[in-house]
Amino acid sequence: MVCKEEIFANKIFLNSVLPLLKVLAEERGELKKSFKNKTAVIQISAKDLEGKVATHFDIKDGVWTVGKGTVENSNLDLELEFSSIVQLNDFFTGKTKKLPKIKGLRNIGLLAGALKALMAMSKLLGASSPPKKEEEKELLVKMYFYLLSSGISQLNKAGHPDISNWTKKSPDRVFAWAVTGKPELSAYLRVKAGNSKAGRGEYKRSKPFFTMRFDTVDSALGILLQIDDMIDATINERIIMEGAPEYGAQIGEYMVLVGSYAKGEYKKG
Amino acid sequence: MASGLTYTMLDATKLSTSEIYGAVLCELGEKHPDIVGFSADLAKSTKIGLFQKKFPDRFFNVGIAEQNMFGIAAGMAKAGLTPFVSTFAVFATMRALDQVHTDICYQNLNVKIIATHGGLSFGQAGSTHHCTEDLSIMRSMANCQVIVPADGIETANAVEAAYYTPGPIYIRINRGFDRRFYDRAEYGFKIGKAVKLTEGTDITIIACGSCVYQAVEAANILANADGIKARVLDMHTIKPIDKEAILEAVHDTRRIITVEDHNVIGGLGSAVAEVIAGSGKGCAFERLGIPDTFSIIGLHEDLMAYYKIDTNGILECARELLGRDFEADDDWEDEV
Amino acid sequence: MPISVNERLILEKKAHELRLLCVNTVMWAGGGHIGGALSAMDILTILYYKYLNIDPKNPNWPDRDRFILSKGHIGVGFAPVLADKGYIDKELLKKYNHTGSDLAMHLDSLKVPGVDASTGSLGHGLSIAVGTALAARLLKKSHMTYCLLGDGECNEGSVWEAAMAASHYQVTNLVTFVDRNKCMIDGPTEEVMGLEPFAKKWEAFGFIVKAVDGHDFMQLSEAIDFALEEKSAPVVIIADTNKGCGVDFMEGDYKWHYGSLDSEKVEQAFESLEKYYQKRKGVSRNG
Repeated sequence: MVCKEEIFANKIFLNSVLPLLKVLAEERGELKKSFKNKTAVIQISAKDLEGKVATHFDIKDGVWTVGKGTVENSNLDLELEFSSIVQLNDFFTGKTKKLPKIKGLRNIGLLAGALKALMAMSKLLGASSPPKKEEEKELLVKMYFYLLSSGISQLNKAGHPDISNWTKKSPDRVFAWAVTGKPELSAYLRVKAGNSKAGRGEYKRSKPFFTMRFDTVDSALGILLQIDDMIDATINERIIMEGAPEYGAQIGEYMVLVGSYAKGEYKKG
Repeated sequence: MASGLTYTMLDATKLSTSEIYGAVLCELGEKHPDIVGFSADLAKSTKIGLFQKKFPDRFFNVGIAEQNMFGIAAGMAKAGLTPFVSTFAVFATMRALDQVHTDICYQNLNVKIIATHGGLSFGQAGSTHHCTEDLSIMRSMANCQVIVPADGIETANAVEAAYYTPGPIYIRINRGFDRRFYDRAEYGFKIGKAVKLTEGTDITIIACGSCVYQAVEAANILANADGIKARVLDMHTIKPIDKEAILEAVHDTRRIITVEDHNVIGGLGSAVAEVIAGSGKGCAFERLGIPDTFSIIGLHEDLMAYYKIDTNGILECARELLGRDFEADDDWEDEV
Repeated sequence: MPISVNERLILEKKAHELRLLCVNTVMWAGGGHIGGALSAMDILTILYYKYLNIDPKNPNWPDRDRFILSKGHIGVGFAPVLADKGYIDKELLKKYNHTGSDLAMHLDSLKVPGVDASTGSLGHGLSIAVGTALAARLLKKSHMTYCLLGDGECNEGSVWEAAMAASHYQVTNLVTFVDRNKCMIDGPTEEVMGLEPFAKKWEAFGFIVKAVDGHDFMQLSEAIDFALEEKSAPVVIIADTNKGCGVDFMEGDYKWHYGSLDSEKVEQAFESLEKYYQKRKGVSRNG
């Protein structure tokens, strides 16, 4: 039996982190080139007693579509298969260098591209200081916003006690992350009576119940990379809590929780 | 706008809504000799009697003859005077409606109708003296503005604003035993502009008259017991309705409850619904009011509870509405 | 002051012209309340051409006398008077009732200069008149209010509410007329809903009643002079009139409460009115 904590971390890797490959592959110049006009199906999976867990990417002429779960073997061009959920988690948190089983070696070019993308993502998300280029900064902020909104939602769906108790009691509310003047970076999380949904872009159907807004991309990275102090940033108005501050504190806790799974801090010792 | 009416100095806790109305009218009468008062054998009940005592020559008790009262008031307005006419809401808007329609509204005359005993406030009198149709009726009178103050202080503000606003105005107040709500007069009362009493983005409760107090109580309970942030709007002006505040509520909260001491047909709820429907925006919506029936008999407070337009009724409705799915496209898959 | 013979002849001529214009207006309008317009025309004529202190160039002059036409349905009789006095262009009469016209069956005080109150729903005028008269008293102004009621209209309870108030407040700067043409839409007044003893009703409500021939300028003039002088109680002038007065095929017939006229009928009406005028010129009913 895999423990609950590993399952929560796995949900985040499969459903919140890995989907960011698409964002990266479509926005970054050199990755775009690697997959230009390519058509292929790639799967990242882990074996489990109850079957296989996976995320797959359906690439058509360089355009990525993220799919949950597995696809049939016959359709696969490349699969990175971990021997267990724990192994997948350890790989992505850097606790092991042991590579997964690679199926589809015939297609070396595809494998090279996929590994390049994975490495790039891991480097970007693993950075402890902000990138230099402005567009890299924006990309990182956007990926973090997507990761956090999706991560909280995934933990809810996986039954994380803190988060699922919170969503069960919640009326229909939208929590948003935004940078002033950069609406294209926004992400949001809608919760209602146990349900949750991570969404990308601005939530336009109503005013979000709470928005964690940063005045600049740099201010956002200062917090997301845990360089700056949250309280200082709030006092200096680099973070603007739009809505009741107690909800800001609460969503902040959940952001930290998602971070702890993504970085493997949930593992004791 | 004249400033500094001394009603702010009055001990509002000791005065009923209608007494404040009487006192304010006296003060206005002092400054403005064009004000004349009318009642139809209800000078004492409507408290316009205070004006009568002060200005006996400018007050006309026409006896139990409401049609004639509104006709005479129309004639006086035609001659440049400013009549304030007081009787029970049920008689002002139904017994004398032809006169109110043709003599006053059609001719856009400067007559101020201060209708008392509105809604179910005269609950024990029975349906002959209840009035849960007036807002619907008066709202459809072209030229006429319709105001339902929340309490005595707001009544004072409404009466004063009515004097300085040309044309027919219908102000609906209660029997006079309203809960005091506003503790001072300077909270920015303006005809046609809702007052935002609590801020919130979970749900909006739009209320008028005696239901405003109940709505704020409900919002407090929702905040403390349920962690729900409810916005409460005192929609004192039913016509012209504050479209901006309604559309803002649709956008910000997407759930709206209206609550009024009136038939659910044609009053505040209908006015708000018209704005929402016209906007084309989705919104979960519920109207609280008297459900198209003649009311049972009883004390006003009991009747408000019975028809669920009190704090508990609003709470129940808010909780139900918060759980309601209202988007056909509700989809809980995370976007990737 | 009683009118002279010469004055009477001038009024006769004016009333005749107005009746002709009224008949034309009904034709242009495609129909109208002609019976009651013709029965009231002599009252309108004597008020507008002898008594009313008004200025058509300044229709909202605050000190003008007021005229409240409580029987508001006789717009086809009233509008020709207003046109002749110069309040409105006579050409407008040709578009009476037409879509978009300012002139409807019941005249709108906000659209038609010279109309002191929008009436049409019956039983309203006397209350409004009591209001304008009481306002004049409060404002210490000396102008008068005149009010013209139909007799069928007096079925309305609100007329008697107003009468009670006029008497209670001793409103004597008001002169009330009833055009007693004895007809209403569905038949003679005494058949539909009896008014008699009509004068006694008004007396019981505290009015001084002057009963006159409503087509006799001398009698009307005397009664108005009396009312203007009388300060002990309000005065009502019950004017005995003929429905459709002056048009032989209409006279006394309740069916002509409302009607329309083709050019042939207009010709007939004109002939009859001409004869009627000749007769009126020659006779002083007052002897």
